[in-house]
Amino acid sequence: MTFEQILGHQSQKEILRRALASDRLAHAYLFEGPEGIGKRLMALGVARAVFCSRGTGCGDCVACRKVDHHNHPDLHLLEVEGTSIKIDQVRELQQSLSLRPLEAKKKICLINGAEYLNPAAGNALLKTLEEPPGDALIILLSAHPDRLLSTIRSRCQRLPFRRLQRDVLQQVLQQQLGIGDAESHVLSALAEGSFKKAFGKDRRLYLEQRRELLRELTALTGGAVLPRFEFAEKLAGQKEQLQEILGIFQTFFRDLLLHKHGRPENEWVNLDLREKIERVARLETEESLLLKLDALAATRLRLERNVNRQLAMEVLLQRLAPS
Amino acid sequence: MSYLVLARKWRPQTFADLIGQEHVSQTLGNAIRTGRVHHAFLFTGARGVGKTSAARIFAKALNCEQGITAEPCNQCPSCLEISEGNGTDVLEIDGASNTGVDDVRELRENIRYLPSRSRFKIFIIDEVHMLSINAFNALLKTLEEPPDHAKFIFATTEPHKIPITILSRCQRFDFRKIPLPSVVSRLKEIVEVEKVEISERALTMVARRGEGSMRDALSTLDQVIAFCGDRAADEDVQGLLGLVDRRLLLDTVEALLQRDSRRLLEMVRRVDHLGYSYRQYGRDLVETFRSLVLCRVLDEPQELLDVTADELAELQALAAQAGLEDLQRIQGVLLKLESELAVSPMPHLTLEMVLLRLAQLPPTEDVGQLLKRLAELEKRLSRGGGVSSAPVPRSAPSSTAAAESSPPPEPTPKKVEAPAAPNSGKGDWPGLVEFVKARRRPLIASILEQASPLQLAPPILEIGLPRGSFALGQLDDPELVEALTALAGDYFGAAVKLRVTPLAVDVANVRPSLEQARRQQESDRQRRLRADALDHPLIKSAQDIFGASVKDVRPIDKGFV
Repeated sequence: MTFEQILGHQSQKEILRRALASDRLAHAYLFEGPEGIGKRLMALGVARAVFCSRGTGCGDCVACRKVDHHNHPDLHLLEVEGTSIKIDQVRELQQSLSLRPLEAKKKICLINGAEYLNPAAGNALLKTLEEPPGDALIILLSAHPDRLLSTIRSRCQRLPFRRLQRDVLQQVLQQQLGIGDAESHVLSALAEGSFKKAFGKDRRLYLEQRRELLRELTALTGGAVLPRFEFAEKLAGQKEQLQEILGIFQTFFRDLLLHKHGRPENEWVNLDLREKIERVARLETEESLLLKLDALAATRLRLERNVNRQLAMEVLLQRLAPS
Repeated sequence: MSYLVLARKWRPQTFADLIGQEHVSQTLGNAIRTGRVHHAFLFTGARGVGKTSAARIFAKALNCEQGITAEPCNQCPSCLEISEGNGTDVLEIDGASNTGVDDVRELRENIRYLPSRSRFKIFIIDEVHMLSINAFNALLKTLEEPPDHAKFIFATTEPHKIPITILSRCQRFDFRKIPLPSVVSRLKEIVEVEKVEISERALTMVARRGEGSMRDALSTLDQVIAFCGDRAADEDVQGLLGLVDRRLLLDTVEALLQRDSRRLLEMVRRVDHLGYSYRQYGRDLVETFRSLVLCRVLDEPQELLDVTADELAELQALAAQAGLEDLQRIQGVLLKLESELAVSPMPHLTLEMVLLRLAQLPPTEDVGQLLKRLAELEKRLSRGGGVSSAPVPRSAPSSTAAAESSPPPEPTPKKVEAPAAPNSGKGDWPGLVEFVKARRRPLIASILEQASPLQLAPPILEIGLPRGSFALGQLDDPELVEALTALAGDYFGAAVKLRVTPLAVDVANVRPSLEQARRQQESDRQRRLRADALDHPLIKSAQDIFGASVKDVRPIDKGFV
């Protein structure tokens, strides 16, 4: 994939293109930005441009194809193994970087998910990252650069990537999935500029289950306790997707908040639920909405820390139900 | 050799190049000049302040062919080798990759041999904090008394991870963060040689991004040059660094101070649209509020603020719109927001919520002012005037004096379902007992439960207790009687005269006490239960077949029948 084929990120492309053209490519880059917006594609694009026999990253020559098929001998890819990138992987990388490149002018190494480098591995990388042997190029990719060692960050040239604009994503979704305006709007808004989210496993959740979940949520009343507990149990059962579901609830209450402040509708997420939003907004005050959003945010944080899910959901719904 | 990043190209090669660490270079230089060079050094400090560079320069100084000198020549083969990082007698070891005890054993093996060419054999162990504890311990003896030809230089960012026994064997040098002006002047030197046109203001932005680290600043400068080429305009630098536009920040501040929620939401949308990072936006907002606070507290804030006269006037106008307390409170909330944004799965929502919250806050009041107002209020209260509109404070339940005038008590007594409750509605006997319980007087309540009401017509209340009972004895206590009278007075809403009559044990025509009634009910239930059980066909046939007899009937569950 050449730079042209990657969506968005114009200024980042420009920086890399200029660096390539003037031969000022640094030896270590840190591509940082949200999950699934094309950082890895971009890094592979750089690899192709460097390896390409025509010097353009054409996509037709042998070198380019090898990059595309992940079997270029001078391209090393470090991925998370289990829960982290381990020191043995880094040592292996150092070993192979110390050898001369086989086909290309230099070796290139991509470290995907650099925040998963465990402390030992991260430290082991430091010297290599500062002065790589030979003429290697190391590209680190990270969605959470703040979790990296500051000593690693300082050794890289940082290239921040931004979220894709919602309308860009919406267009792609419409073209590739053939879904309607409203649906693609919801999906692109929920995905927050991430292709991975929009095309990934959560699509069904976002498109199909979202309405049902929100219906159940708004059907809760202050008086009846039993349905609340039943709903809590149902939610607690959704172990994998619970965070995303709570995210959907957050977007819903945010829509209510935006509605209260008379913001235009295209900023909403749940455009297809206009009537429900208008109905519920009448029952809520700004203060109550903020409290509910607080409760949601706090619950999401607690869930990350392994609290009892069932209990957390019961407490949450207690707060979310109209009083 | 292809392009070398600035941080490597401009790595200091002499102590004079080592900026911001004069205390280190002077000490080391003096040690060399006076011939008092220790054999083990530990260089610590934040990233990118020159630890590794200092180690290399020091190694060069010790091994320079011109003789031991504080200013290595950088021309002799020894110096050149070290600069290139492949000196035969200067071993630069990556402490984070060679962490084990075996690596240290190898080093000890190695240390016995004399240097091949130079004066000293120098071991530079970088990232030394990653050595395992065994590796450190294996090093102790060697580190304490190494051969004369050996020198150790350790460099690390995390000295707290190094065992105290190692620390005590080393001369330790703490490298400081490099002050902003020094970074800027060094950057200026570099861009001049690199022939890049860039303004001083832009360089300051770059240096600030480095946060006291030279390497960070140079990495950023590299990025700027890569993007802008040989001529870097201020706007481009600002855009590249992701610094948020001043106008947007000031608009946000204004909207916050005017509590304009709608506009704040618009700001968040614009931040998103322009592609700024929310975190950077939060950070810059904090910075802006800091300027406002400074404008508020200082007469001449321009000394501390890096702004032009126009900008200062704007800031001062904004600062005048709010009190100091307000500004500081907003700043505090925003400071917290910054860290929240780092972990939040939905940063835009977090940002919106916090801004809306801030817009909703009522203006703060100075605590001193409040206390003064409170004191004044109390003074007026004690004079007894001016507070007629305030509600009369309800008297405490035990004070009999207030009972006459006070309205009927608020907690309406719950009716107890007892068979013997002739008086319906308020003012009946079980109600009184319940009321006493609610007032948390369990002793009196239990006495009342055992008592039979003989006369229940306020102001006279006559209760009967079995002669010789413990409860009757308890009521000899005048204090208890007084408390009971007061409680009853509260309950009936009028003063009550309490009379206690001892009853003969077998008197039948008085109303039973609550406890008796309950016991009666219980035994009725027992009897009914027994009858039910005996009537049960299953039991009957069991009796028929086995000739069994029923000994005891026990309810399985209280609510079963």
